[in-house]
Amino acid sequence: MNWQIGMDFTEKIFYINRESLKKYADASGDQNKIHQSEEFAQSVGLPNVIAHGMFTMALAGEAVRSWVGSERFIVEFNTRFAKPVIVPANTDVALSFTGKVIALTDEDLTIEIAAICDGNKVLTQTKVRVKL
Amino acid sequence: MAVHGPELVGRRFSSDAVREVTEESITTFAKAIGADIQFTPPTFLISFSVSAAEEFLPTLGFDWSRVVHGDQRFLHHRSVYPGDQLKYASEIESYKSLAGNEFISIRTDFFDVKSEELVSATWSTLVFRGGQE
Repeated sequence: MNWQIGMDFTEKIFYINRESLKKYADASGDQNKIHQSEEFAQSVGLPNVIAHGMFTMALAGEAVRSWVGSERFIVEFNTRFAKPVIVPANTDVALSFTGKVIALTDEDLTIEIAAICDGNKVLTQTKVRVKL
Repeated sequence: MAVHGPELVGRRFSSDAVREVTEESITTFAKAIGADIQFTPPTFLISFSVSAAEEFLPTLGFDWSRVVHGDQRFLHHRSVYPGDQLKYASEIESYKSLAGNEFISIRTDFFDVKSEELVSATWSTLVFRGGQE
């Protein structure tokens, strides 16, 4: 692959719903009820059930692996959780990821990722450094 | 709500308990995010670092039911493999209180129990939302 600074990766979209949040909760051990119960989420001042920030970050990681190959070693991965991803009942919520190469050395490649849900930037300052 | 201050910075917590990475735990995590199960996802260690904080911070009076994640960073020195035995050491690196919310940043280092090598360092900022209670 011929990597170049400024190159863009094709948009990757994941659909998540309440069922996927439950699966992520079980796999990660994060059973916080704001990710499963509408009633509980609203009782602590949230508009509805929200996705685990780490679930969104994990999917950003998968978008990167779809671009560079799952076998590549990800050295560094940073993000900021800017806005919650709201997951209403009986709804598949689309999470869109795009990426751009922002740095390149003989050893590694750095990709900046944009993560959009319902028109909002849900992650910001998201960067992944991949070993070449 | 408990009152905390900058004296928290520098507090360390760790556990001698060995965290065993099983093939099943990696596969379950990979499947939950639609990943290729052959390669450990780069965020896999979050389950260990968050559970470390979840055990420790409530002992300082933080209300775990009011936590949200502010930011996250991973710096991996090598991949995590099934059969790895890991232990961790955590340190509170920063603390601030802003508009009733408390922001606490924690670094957690994961070491291989046998070789003592640093496998990964992770940083999490957790936000404890102040309430109307």
